[in-house]
Amino acid sequence: MNNLYLGVDIGSVSINIVAIDEENELVFKLYTRNSGNPIELVKEGLAKLREEIELENYKISGVGVTGSGRQLIAYVLGADTVKNEITAHARASTYYHPEAGTIFEIGGQDSKLIIVEDGIAVDFAMNTVCAAGTGSFLDHQAERLGVPIEEFGGLALEADRDVRIAGRCTVFAESDMISKQQYGFTKPEIINGLSEALVRNYMNNLVRNRVLEGEYIFQGGVAANIGIKAAFEEEIGAEVIVPEHHDVMGAIGIAMLAKRDVKRSGQESSFRGFDLTEQEFETTSFECEDCANNCEVIKVIADSKVIAVTGDRCGKWTASLIGDSAANANVEGSSEKEEKTAAKSSKKQDEDLNKNSEELEANLYKVDLEKEKQVMKELEELEKSDENKKEDNSLV
Amino acid sequence: MKKRKVGIPRALLYYYYFPFWLKLFSELNLEPVISDSTSRDLLNKGVKKSLSEICVPIKVMIGHVLNLDQKDVDYIFMPRFRSLKKDVVLCPKFLGLPDMIRHSLPGLKTEVIADQIDSKSDDIAQFSNHQKLAETFSITKREMKSALKKATDFWQRYRDLLFKGYLIDDFAGIEELEILEKVITKFENDPKPPQSRDQNLEAPVNEEVVDIAVIGYVYNIFDQYINMDIINKLKEMGVRVHSFSMVAEETIEKELSNLRKPMFWEFTNKLYGAAEHYLKNDGIDGVIHLTAFGCGPDSMLGQILEVDAKEYEKTFMTLRIDEQTGESHIITRIEAFIDLMRLKKENN
Repeated sequence: MNNLYLGVDIGSVSINIVAIDEENELVFKLYTRNSGNPIELVKEGLAKLREEIELENYKISGVGVTGSGRQLIAYVLGADTVKNEITAHARASTYYHPEAGTIFEIGGQDSKLIIVEDGIAVDFAMNTVCAAGTGSFLDHQAERLGVPIEEFGGLALEADRDVRIAGRCTVFAESDMISKQQYGFTKPEIINGLSEALVRNYMNNLVRNRVLEGEYIFQGGVAANIGIKAAFEEEIGAEVIVPEHHDVMGAIGIAMLAKRDVKRSGQESSFRGFDLTEQEFETTSFECEDCANNCEVIKVIADSKVIAVTGDRCGKWTASLIGDSAANANVEGSSEKEEKTAAKSSKKQDEDLNKNSEELEANLYKVDLEKEKQVMKELEELEKSDENKKEDNSLV
Repeated sequence: MKKRKVGIPRALLYYYYFPFWLKLFSELNLEPVISDSTSRDLLNKGVKKSLSEICVPIKVMIGHVLNLDQKDVDYIFMPRFRSLKKDVVLCPKFLGLPDMIRHSLPGLKTEVIADQIDSKSDDIAQFSNHQKLAETFSITKREMKSALKKATDFWQRYRDLLFKGYLIDDFAGIEELEILEKVITKFENDPKPPQSRDQNLEAPVNEEVVDIAVIGYVYNIFDQYINMDIINKLKEMGVRVHSFSMVAEETIEKELSNLRKPMFWEFTNKLYGAAEHYLKNDGIDGVIHLTAFGCGPDSMLGQILEVDAKEYEKTFMTLRIDEQTGESHIITRIEAFIDLMRLKKENN
């Protein structure tokens, strides 16, 4: 029986599932487009995994989930490790490329830069609120130009002339592309200009004043685009490596992290088993009206049994799952948690220091007439100098 | 006679001065009423009444003023902080705050007491800073001065605890003076060190504890709604949290004197001094600059810190908060940030 570790990356554009063995060899790899129902896609993915490998020989010993949709799927799978995609990506690429210095990662919804020194990630940057220059933007533009996304990158290399397209903002980029099209530039030229704009934007927003050193690794879904790869190489003036499994690096990384965590804790995996592919999952949400935050609370239901509750800021619904008695205690304290603890601690100290505190207080605020007089005098003097000061200030 | 109610918005410098104000109003026989904690509803109302391009802390402030207006208070107390040090002012939005409120909220029912604060230090207990308050409630100069003295003494005890390593978060939820007094007395006599100094702190399973300095204005780092409760999230992940309010004034002054030209804004300078102190400090693993989107002073501070963090080889990150920030992006960033430091430690 060999140990197998699952890694699942729930991105905005794709859902990736991998399985690695004890030696980090890839046993199974699946890259699917996220069509909007991650639970179903993960179930299908697992079913495929069950078909492709002979499960009798393997035991699922650890499960890791990453990506922007990691939380929900972690509940569904019963994951051992739930971690952000930055750590996961860094882990996988430093494993495959120990000499890596710079990792460019462009996914569907966000882009990241990871700086590596001696095989360890030491710095990272992530795009801010704007999605300019990410996979979904390219997707959208490919659709608008009527070019399949798979051919998009190749076309860019056919461009004869340079076109400058504004890369700062997707809205401007789009209007820029339309006007350039109307001037008579060809599709390849427009696409080439767009690729350059995307890389320029990446350099301005993420790299900023960082000094980049080699090797340069380019991964994430967009790394399949040879036009963008070429634009990166042109920009930094060096070769850029696209790893073989560039599209599932996040999943591989999280599988490795799950392996580490399971080993460290020495516990059995909390994986819910392959039976979950036959279970019916459902998510419902409601707006909690117990305080002014009106959180959207999400419930995950498996075969009509609630397995997870999330989305509440105060944690009272999340806690309600753990046990009724615990929940009751929590409901009271929900929105004014810190106040309650403060009150509690003061009550506790009431008992300890009851006598003391009264004494302390009395001493503290005892009015000493002599002292009072002197303080008042001092204050008055301060006051005078203050008033003089005020006049000065009015001129400032 | 029934005590008159004075509303204090739980926003901006509330987190810095609230013990002072609670004590002051109690000494003056007035009843302080604190606005509710920031919530989605409160922020939405504030946003609706604000200039769209203003920073989110001001929008929060406007939300709190509206909240107080519905609480049936007699007055709203909102001083105009102008200066806390010679030749240094606060951000222009503080200088113009009462005017901005008047302009943004023409329908405000409650009268606003807006004394101008001009002080030589963080101690704001001068009578000249409270003249309007005294006039409004016909308080004699003598009475006012004695109340101010007591308030500032009380505030000083709070500050000393902050310097000792307590976070403003440890107190900020308390609205009752009696409870606050007891908590302060308790902490003063507590043999157990505060979280930021606790050498026996336990991290989640198999992970190492890390020390992070969160550099940001009090109203950004201690408003749990607006920053997605980052302080507690960090604590849960096994982080000892440090903030600028723990750094002694002399240290901040010393660091500031290294700057060829200090900045114009009081709290920006304080953050700078504290951040430099933490960047040089071997006991600190990383520094997070938490800033509100569109903050003018921070656009300078952030750049300086970024450059200096590189020089001192300290792990550094900027976190930007705004009206609508998804929680997941904050978690992703702080998680990855902490992972960086843990990896570094593991490999040493």
